[in-house]
Amino acid sequence: MIRNLKEVKDNNFDITRAAEEVRNLSFNDHVCLGCGICESTCPVEAITLNAIAIDARHRISNDVYFSGHDKIAQNFKEDFDVQRISIDESKCVLCGMCSGLCPVDALVLTIDDVPIKEIEAYPHYNAFSEIDDDECVYCKRCEIACPRDAIVIERILPDRADLVTGEIEVDDEECIYCGVCEELCPAEAIVVDKETGKESIVIDKDKCVYCLVCKKSCPTNAIKAICRSCSYGEYDLDPAKAVVKGNSVIDSELCVYCGWCEGVCPTDAAKVKKPFEGSIEVDDDKCQACGACVDICQCNALAFPVSSGPGSRMEHVIAYDEYCVRCKACAKACPNGAITVTRTEVDHTPINSTTWKEALDAIKD
Amino acid sequence: MPKHIASGLKYLAAVKLKNMGKTHQEIAKELSVDRSTISHYLNGSNLSWNSIEVARTITEFCPRDFLKMAFAVFDKPEESRKIVNICRIRNYDAIIEDSCIGCGLCVNVCMMKAIKLESLHAHADSIQCCGCQLCSDECPTNSIKILEI
Repeated sequence: MIRNLKEVKDNNFDITRAAEEVRNLSFNDHVCLGCGICESTCPVEAITLNAIAIDARHRISNDVYFSGHDKIAQNFKEDFDVQRISIDESKCVLCGMCSGLCPVDALVLTIDDVPIKEIEAYPHYNAFSEIDDDECVYCKRCEIACPRDAIVIERILPDRADLVTGEIEVDDEECIYCGVCEELCPAEAIVVDKETGKESIVIDKDKCVYCLVCKKSCPTNAIKAICRSCSYGEYDLDPAKAVVKGNSVIDSELCVYCGWCEGVCPTDAAKVKKPFEGSIEVDDDKCQACGACVDICQCNALAFPVSSGPGSRMEHVIAYDEYCVRCKACAKACPNGAITVTRTEVDHTPINSTTWKEALDAIKD
Repeated sequence: MPKHIASGLKYLAAVKLKNMGKTHQEIAKELSVDRSTISHYLNGSNLSWNSIEVARTITEFCPRDFLKMAFAVFDKPEESRKIVNICRIRNYDAIIEDSCIGCGLCVNVCMMKAIKLESLHAHADSIQCCGCQLCSDECPTNSIKILEI
C-alpha cells in the first residue's frame, strides 16, 4: 500500500506520494483566496474550508467576532493561526483537481517536480497580467494599488545634470563663507566650511539646478551663475538622457488578476485577463455593514463609503465590479447572505477528460 | 526451495510457449534462460515433478495470490511479470470508465505495469492484466472494472 506523507510548516503543508512517479501537493496559505473551489471540487471530499476563511473575521470564544486591531488580535493568536483550508491526507489521492482549478497558485500539484500548470494534459485558466515596458512610465501607481503587493517597479531616474544646463562659479575674493547659500540651496549642492583658517566653498555641478537662489541671496554678490536651459536647452540637453527607465515585475504566485493595475495605469502598459466572467451584487437591505467581506476580499473589490462625519452610521458595503474576480469568497463569508456573485464563464484550455470537464463546468453558475 | 518453485514456474511457462508453437530458441530468449536448459525442461529432465506440482498449484491460486507469490519467488520484477502473464489461466478485460479522475493511484499499484495515464485518464492494457484487482480496490472513484473473459 502506498501511503501519503504530510509535512506541515506554519499554515502551509505538503502531501507526498512517492511511487515510480513522485506526486506532491503543496498548500500556500498566504496565496489562498478562501474561495472554496477546491472544497467543492475535491472528488474524494478530502478538503474543508476552515471557519477562519468562511467568516474571515477574527473569531474569539462564544462566536464573538471583531474585525480586529492587531494589538487585540495578538492576545488571541492561537485562535487565529488556522490555515484557510485543511486536507485529510488519508483521503487525498493527489489527483490534482484542486490544484488545476485553484484560481491562484495556493494549491500546487507537482509530478516528478513539474507543476501541473506546465503539463499540457491538465487544464489551465486563460488568465494573465503583464506590464508592457514600452508603454510603462514607471509611475508606480500599480505597485501602490496592487492589493496583494504582487508588483515591484524598479525605477531608474535620469541624472539631474542631464536635465539642466547653466554656469556657476564663486569669487573666492568676495566670499565671506557665511553659509547662507548652503542653507538655502534646495538641491543641497553647496558645501561651505566655515572653520576659521580652513574656509572653503564647493558647489557640486552634478547637483546644481541653476535656480539662482544662492546668487540672489549672497550678501556679497560672490556667486556668478546663469541658467541656460531656456536659451540653449536644445543645444545643450539630449532628450534621450532625460527619460525615466526601469523594470516591472509581477509576482505570478501572488497575482489574482483583479485588474487594479490596469485600472490605475495612466498609459496602456498594464493588461489583465481574468479567468472568470460574471457579476457581483450587494443587497443593500440585507447588508449589516459588518465588514466580513471586506476582510476576506483579496482584490480590494469591496469597500465602505468614506464616512460623512463623526457619529455617522456605517452604510452598506460597495462592490467594485471591475476589480472583482468572481471567486465568491465574500459571498461565503457574508453572515447575512447579502452578496451574490455569479460565475458565468470559465476560460480554460481544452481538455479531454470527462470528469475534469465536468468539474470545470460545475464551478459555473 | 524458492529456486525450485521458480524453475517449476519456468517449466510451465516453457511448456505453454511450446504449445503455442514457439521453438526452443524463442522460448529460451523469452524466458531469459539458456537453450540447453529449455531443452532439458521440455525433455522432462533436471526438474523434480514435486516442484512442478507446487508451481502448478501456485498458478491456480486466485490471481492476486499468484501475482504476489510470483513476485516473492523471482528476484527481478520483470521476470515475475513475464511468468504471471504466460502462466495465468484466465484472460481479463480491464475497463476504465469515464469517471476516472486521473489520480494515477492505479498506475502506482499495478504490479503488472498494465496501466498508463494519458490525458488525465488511465488506460489499461488488457493483455498485461493478471486480474488481481489491486487497481479497482484502490480506485477512489470506482472507475475500474476487471472482467474475466
